[in-house]
Amino acid sequence: MAEGGSSMDPLLYNSGFARKIYDLESGSQVKRCMQCGVCAVSCASRQEMDITPRRLFSLIRAGQSEAVLNANTMWVCTSCCTCRVRCPRRIDLLEVMHDLQRYCLVTGRASHPQVSFHQAFWQELRERGRIGEAGVMLRCWLKLGVAGAFRKALEMKGTGLCLLRRGRLPLVSPQKLKGLPGLNKIIDKAQTQREDLK
Amino acid sequence: MRYSFYPGCSMEGTAIAYRKSLLAAAWALGLYLEEIPDWNCCGATVAPGVAGSYVRQVLAARNLALAGSRGLDVLVGCSSCYLALAGANRRFQAHGPFRVLANEALAEGGLKYEGNLRVRQVLEVMAHDVGLGKVRDRVRQPLAGLRVAGYVGCQTVRAVPGSFDDPENPLFLEQLIEALGATAVPFPAKVRCCGGSRVAVAPGDALHYAANILETAAGAGADLVITPCPMCQFNLEVNQLEINRCGGSFNLPVLFYTQLICVAFGLAPTAAGLKHCLISPYPALSGFA
Repeated sequence: MAEGGSSMDPLLYNSGFARKIYDLESGSQVKRCMQCGVCAVSCASRQEMDITPRRLFSLIRAGQSEAVLNANTMWVCTSCCTCRVRCPRRIDLLEVMHDLQRYCLVTGRASHPQVSFHQAFWQELRERGRIGEAGVMLRCWLKLGVAGAFRKALEMKGTGLCLLRRGRLPLVSPQKLKGLPGLNKIIDKAQTQREDLK
Repeated sequence: MRYSFYPGCSMEGTAIAYRKSLLAAAWALGLYLEEIPDWNCCGATVAPGVAGSYVRQVLAARNLALAGSRGLDVLVGCSSCYLALAGANRRFQAHGPFRVLANEALAEGGLKYEGNLRVRQVLEVMAHDVGLGKVRDRVRQPLAGLRVAGYVGCQTVRAVPGSFDDPENPLFLEQLIEALGATAVPFPAKVRCCGGSRVAVAPGDALHYAANILETAAGAGADLVITPCPMCQFNLEVNQLEINRCGGSFNLPVLFYTQLICVAFGLAPTAAGLKHCLISPYPALSGFA
């Protein structure tokens, strides 16, 4: 036993968690990681990430579900693809981060502010077929409640007015797609199929 | 030369200037862009995090199915849209069960796609189908003396590495700047990420991305920045204003590269859409526009 300071509690592994992640669409790629750390030093968001991609993969493999699900890694990722281009094991980190985002959303473990943008974006896509910028922002802010939305709108007022004056902020949402029902049927079907594909 | 054109959602709103200047520049270069009818959002880099990659690839492929019958290359201006559409396209073209399954889903919308098209970025088409020589020949107002930072952005050259230019040190945008008669300043931040969609939610947290890029451009003596990505153009302008509100003093107009092309080609004043800029480019472009 180590002297002085270290915890005497056994480290609890959750091997089921690692398997759950490996079962995600690109989750099994995590197994290829050789812990070189190129992703960590390449990451555009590294100054804000509490756990680097390298470390996150190590934690996944060790079944440390709490540490993984509480990390902000997947939520501050900007999808810049730098890590993916440089990874010597050709891990598609972009896809792994997306899988982890989805896993957090589906298991109700997503609590980062970026989440509301993700949800608003998807709602806008399903309800209109195209993303209206004003529409997405409004949906995003409304997730903070009406008072919260108002506060956010005031914070961004300067920018909003600037964009409006310069003809870059259509206040009327884009017309709904003619083929919106068809698009939604396609999406519904794809969602049921998802489990078939690895 | 004809192409199917996928504008993407931002060209309807914040990147309206990209749309206008792209269509004008393309026409001047003999490229005919036919918009895909009733195209839908590609999902950007957000949809896969909510609905998963497979679902996103299928919904992005609806656009390819709509364009399929024309058989023309699909031209994309936005790098996120390119990532989405090119990614979906590659899955249709690869072996495996994906194509059959995806077509079962597309059939629910009365559509089908066989993977017969090519998805291409505008810059790549300019490089390979048009060529810098033709661009240079079309210039009527060489932008002599104008110092330009070519901000390529991250996804443009990394979405499908090897499809166009080098992912670590792309050179085409600088060559394009020189072909227009301007000077491309040395710009090591040219492929650093601008912060992407993080800016929408946490503008304060996302300032550092833009600050780094703008400082590098200003330090290199740039008069203005050009970029091919709608998110980048938006972020570098909006964040610049925010940084200035907090005491910064940047004065770097940020244009789409197609806007600079329109100016150099001497096209009608409205073609470049310069009035849409939040930071006026007129002082930097005085003598040219």
